[in-house]
Amino acid sequence: MKKPMSELCVQPALTATAPVMAVRSLSVQAGTRVLLRNVHFDVQRGQVFGIIGPSGAGKSTLLRALNRLTDLIPGLRVSGDVHLHGKSIYAPGIDANTLRARIGMLFQQPVIFPVSVTENVLFGAKRLRRIGNGERHELVERALREVALWEEVKDRLHAPALALSVGQQQRLCLARALAVRPDIILMDEPTSALDPKSTQAIEDLIVRLKEHHTIVLVTHNVRQARRVTDWLACICMRDGVGEIVESACCDAVLDTPQCRDVIDYLEHAN
Amino acid sequence: MRKTLDRLLAFVCGASALFVCALLLGLVAVIWQRGSPALSWHFLTEQIRQVGAQGGIFYNLVGTTILIVSAIAICAPIAVGLALVERIFLRSAPARRALTIFLYTLNGLPSIVFGIFGFVVFVKWCGWGKSWLTGGILLAAMILPTVTIALIERIKALPRQYVEAAAGLGLSESQIIWAVILPQSWSGLLTGSLLGLARAAGETAPIMFTATIFAGATLPHGIKDNPVLSLPYHIFVLAQDSFDPSVGAKLWGAALVLLGLVLLLSLIALPSRLKMHEEANV
Repeated sequence: MKKPMSELCVQPALTATAPVMAVRSLSVQAGTRVLLRNVHFDVQRGQVFGIIGPSGAGKSTLLRALNRLTDLIPGLRVSGDVHLHGKSIYAPGIDANTLRARIGMLFQQPVIFPVSVTENVLFGAKRLRRIGNGERHELVERALREVALWEEVKDRLHAPALALSVGQQQRLCLARALAVRPDIILMDEPTSALDPKSTQAIEDLIVRLKEHHTIVLVTHNVRQARRVTDWLACICMRDGVGEIVESACCDAVLDTPQCRDVIDYLEHAN
Repeated sequence: MRKTLDRLLAFVCGASALFVCALLLGLVAVIWQRGSPALSWHFLTEQIRQVGAQGGIFYNLVGTTILIVSAIAICAPIAVGLALVERIFLRSAPARRALTIFLYTLNGLPSIVFGIFGFVVFVKWCGWGKSWLTGGILLAAMILPTVTIALIERIKALPRQYVEAAAGLGLSESQIIWAVILPQSWSGLLTGSLLGLARAAGETAPIMFTATIFAGATLPHGIKDNPVLSLPYHIFVLAQDSFDPSVGAKLWGAALVLLGLVLLLSLIALPSRLKMHEEANV
């Protein structure tokens, strides 16, 4: 019998605590159509966990099932379970809004609200907890510095945020998510709308944020996966249903692809 | 043969368009020609004298303003609530369709029916007599469908990503409504209200036996038995009784002022309507 590829990888130290997020037999169905089947993985603290796969394989749906944004889509049914710090997020009595505040999310296209830069940073934070006037400024500066945007926007904090470039907008969205102080940040192909320079900036940020944050990153860019992810799950279509076909440390998945789907996909992507 | 048919069709369409333009321009021209001699500062600032033959229409303008302001004050919160029910709280398609059909039916009710209803309920049953508030309530009910549907269309046009992004930050449904949906739907409320008001300002049937009298009212001091004067009813009464040429001039003057008021409301709504179309085309 073939060894699973993850045995080729350096396993996380045994002293490591339980996974921050554990996905168990997760399936997602839209009506009678199965979109994702039997997804299974662990995300360790401080890890950048990549999910790579072709368009339409259900990567975005999977990500939305991790913070229950799937609740907002009528007709979508999630089965299986996701544990955050050992507790099921689908258990009865769990408030989806409180949960989403602990799991930040960055989308493909930056979503900027038509208010000022400052108000965009505070958009979630000021509604979720009481923030004094003095603390506001401090929070805005810290969040913007964290995403390396402070120097670029410090003179126009009260200008409309829609005037920023798309790359700046995406970093502003990240600052907005960070201001809420999430445990985990989910990123749904955060650089697919960006030029190479802004992409580089976001990738640098991901590497830097890893020190304090746990990140789940969906991408279809092999180079990006190689550059920033520690652990990679490859998602492919089998009989029209998205499945995780391989999950291992990044190099193992990218360099020694034993799974036909992975090879096909990677060849196609390059 | 086919070419001739094509030309004929183009001709008929063009002629219809010309006819409509001519009708509107002719109407405005006639009212302007007959009404403009009566227009003066005094006409707008003096109150009615000698059964409309002398004086101005100051309290008629004030009364119409009171009616449309109270109509919008009553209508706006209900329209916001209905639009939110249709867009957010109703999850099933049949229920949404039922609400929309209800709104279109309400929109199709003849205005005199509103008048009779108001007369029976407010004037008689509540014992308010003629009251400006009854007029406000009835006009609010009349413009409710227009305002609600404009608002629903605006909310429909909001990018779904806004809601998803706000939910992703952990905001609750009511926080999303207050922080995202309502601030971005203002233009829909404004457009719908102004279009509705442009129509309400000229309505006579709902207010003629519930809220307005011809002469002898100034500013209301309460609700019961506190009617106002109004422009459309003023025109209605003078038109029935305009053998006196001096009354005739005043009548056309009042009609011109009403036309100007309605045009003004429509013009204020125009920029935000154009903007909505632009956004819809993106």
